[in-house]
Amino acid sequence: MKKDIPDRHGTRHESANPVLAWWAGGIGIGLVLIVAVGLVQPIGVSTQYVVLDGVLLHNVLPDVASKSPYLAKTAQGWTLATYEFFFVLGIPLGALMAALVTARFTTRLVPVEWSRRFGSNPGNRLVWSFVGGFLLLFGARFGGGCTSGHMISGISQLAISSFFFSAALFISGIVTARLLYR
Amino acid sequence: MLTLGLGLVLGAAFGALLQLSGASSHTKIVNALRLKDLTIMKLILTAIGVGLVGVHLLDLFGLANMKVKELYLLGIILAGVVFGVGFAISGYCPGTALAACAEGKPDAWVTVMGGLGGALVFAFLFPEIEEHLLSVGRYGPVTIPDLFGIHGIWIAAPLGIVCIWLAARLPSPGGAR
Repeated sequence: MKKDIPDRHGTRHESANPVLAWWAGGIGIGLVLIVAVGLVQPIGVSTQYVVLDGVLLHNVLPDVASKSPYLAKTAQGWTLATYEFFFVLGIPLGALMAALVTARFTTRLVPVEWSRRFGSNPGNRLVWSFVGGFLLLFGARFGGGCTSGHMISGISQLAISSFFFSAALFISGIVTARLLYR
Repeated sequence: MLTLGLGLVLGAAFGALLQLSGASSHTKIVNALRLKDLTIMKLILTAIGVGLVGVHLLDLFGLANMKVKELYLLGIILAGVVFGVGFAISGYCPGTALAACAEGKPDAWVTVMGGLGGALVFAFLFPEIEEHLLSVGRYGPVTIPDLFGIHGIWIAAPLGIVCIWLAARLPSPGGAR
């Protein structure tokens, strides 16, 4: 498993070079999905952002949280002790272990491609990361799923909504990337 | 307790695979959307190909716990467009951002915070959005085999093979792998 990744960009270090080939990673993710569907339910991530929001808000301002039927329904019982939340909690855990084992835990503020195009100002990158994250989850909750829930789980179940969502997502992502990174 | 442990283990396997495959890398995602490096497309197509065949084989034996998402045409397309813009700006998706957080990328932490904000705003706008946007072209949780009245495996098997074939055909960066 241990593999040294050559640093292509001099001082900058980005774990862009995958340790697993696309086919190995793809088969692995497909198998995780199959096991999940066989034992519990298809995989999904974005709902748990709402659940965490709901539980946090319910702790601080229970009246405000209860006012949103969507929040109350999604964060049922205002608890994080669910299979779904623990699945999402597992993602950073697994990623951390993978990065440590392969000696690819690296930190940087501004990603390489971003700094080539927009400069190395960290404030700039962080503001836009926030905006990007906001749109990401707004879109995911609006559509009822994200890359995991809609694309991987949804298309694997031949759900028509997932084909539309994935097509719209890629077209919009490609056009936006074109405009951003001219 | 057992199900929580199972969730954690499956999630960890998923997170490790995302990390090891380069899916949590901003560079890989952005260059995929710029069509300069299609590794992520190859990865997703393979996962979907394997998933299509496996999930429908399970279903053939009545062992699949399916959860099909609802179709509401206008809303789904608008949602995909918004998601795509966020995807290109941040260079992460809701799952890979969490993986990137754990491998020490501060911009991914901020992406997750933005995500929590976006999800919260959506939750409070939901009644309006449901009334005006989700009602347009609402068909419920329909699948392609539902339309034809056949078992999913008849579509999933050939489509799965096409996905894997396409994944193999798309060019790799530098010709390796």
